[in-house]
Amino acid sequence: MKDINADEFEKEVLQAKGLVLVDFNADWCGPCKMMKPILEAFAKTHSEVKLVGVNIDDNDELAEEYRVSTIPCMVMFKDGIEVAREVGVQPERKLKKMMEV
Amino acid sequence: MQYFDVIIVGAGIAGMTAGIYVKRAGLSVLIVEKTVHGGQIINTLNIENWPGDLGVSGADLANKIYGQVSELGVEVKYEEVETMNEISGKKGFRVKTDENEYSCGAIILAMGTEPRRLSEKQTADAGKRAISYCATCDGALYKDKPVVVVGSGNTAKHEIRYLENIASKVYHIHHDDPIPKDAEAVFVAIGRVPNTKVAKDLVDINSEGYIVAEEDCKTSRAGVFVAGDCRTKKVRQLVTAAGDGAIAAEAAIDYLAKK
Repeated sequence: MKDINADEFEKEVLQAKGLVLVDFNADWCGPCKMMKPILEAFAKTHSEVKLVGVNIDDNDELAEEYRVSTIPCMVMFKDGIEVAREVGVQPERKLKKMMEV
Repeated sequence: MQYFDVIIVGAGIAGMTAGIYVKRAGLSVLIVEKTVHGGQIINTLNIENWPGDLGVSGADLANKIYGQVSELGVEVKYEEVETMNEISGKKGFRVKTDENEYSCGAIILAMGTEPRRLSEKQTADAGKRAISYCATCDGALYKDKPVVVVGSGNTAKHEIRYLENIASKVYHIHHDDPIPKDAEAVFVAIGRVPNTKVAKDLVDINSEGYIVAEEDCKTSRAGVFVAGDCRTKKVRQLVTAAGDGAIAAEAAIDYLAKK
């Protein structure tokens, strides 16, 4: 997963065409650790979705801007606009559902 | 319909341990898990009471056990069980998930527990403020901000101690108190409830939702066994969950051999 910071967010997420799945996470968060391989497996089979990670410790202003209140928090963007959001560990099939919105 | 000798519902410590024992006995086994392997422990930063691995994180321990399970060739599917029925004439069981349908000779229920949700009144009171069931997961998002912990048990005390190092103020209230106006997040620690709804027509469940079974892990229905935190028992710990996993697996193996 590509980790991005607040400076890259504009280009990598908001100006990106199509689907971008942003994983807000932190190193000390156990469920985030469990979520990573699920996200990576999902990205492998869904090449139409770009997957990026945002570490909320290093990017607390982004976390605040997107009202990330519990992690892991996965936000799906389509053409730069938020279309779906899930918090807590989610199985792959729930990630798939986020694409359908 | 794919057949397995044993289907295990839940890939927490109990379910994964049961999977190891059933597989090592040479039987076919499937573990069905609705979210991710590990169960409750994935929220724990440091585990201090699992013998042989002092201070291991819950996520790491979950992945280690999962690694062992997959190495042995136990199949794990991430699907949610919707119904479980006994096939008439005691010919085994049918397990329907949101994606597939399986049949099996025996079932081990290891669904664990989930946090008891905040009451409707307090949820309304919290409004748009964050509601968290895991201080170690979300506490750091409230650095130097006021938060509140709801609950009166040991978990609540533990959450309070943890948050006191992060938040500017930690309020402590009980499950029917009003939520302080300035608290920015509500951390809930009001106990846990067993995840057993899906088994209510299959086996006896007590008034609190736990599946009724003694230490032999045998439920009210022959061929259905229960392991871990969702069983009626006194001590709910990782090691007792693993212990139940072994006992339930041996009981299932024995049941299938005598059938």
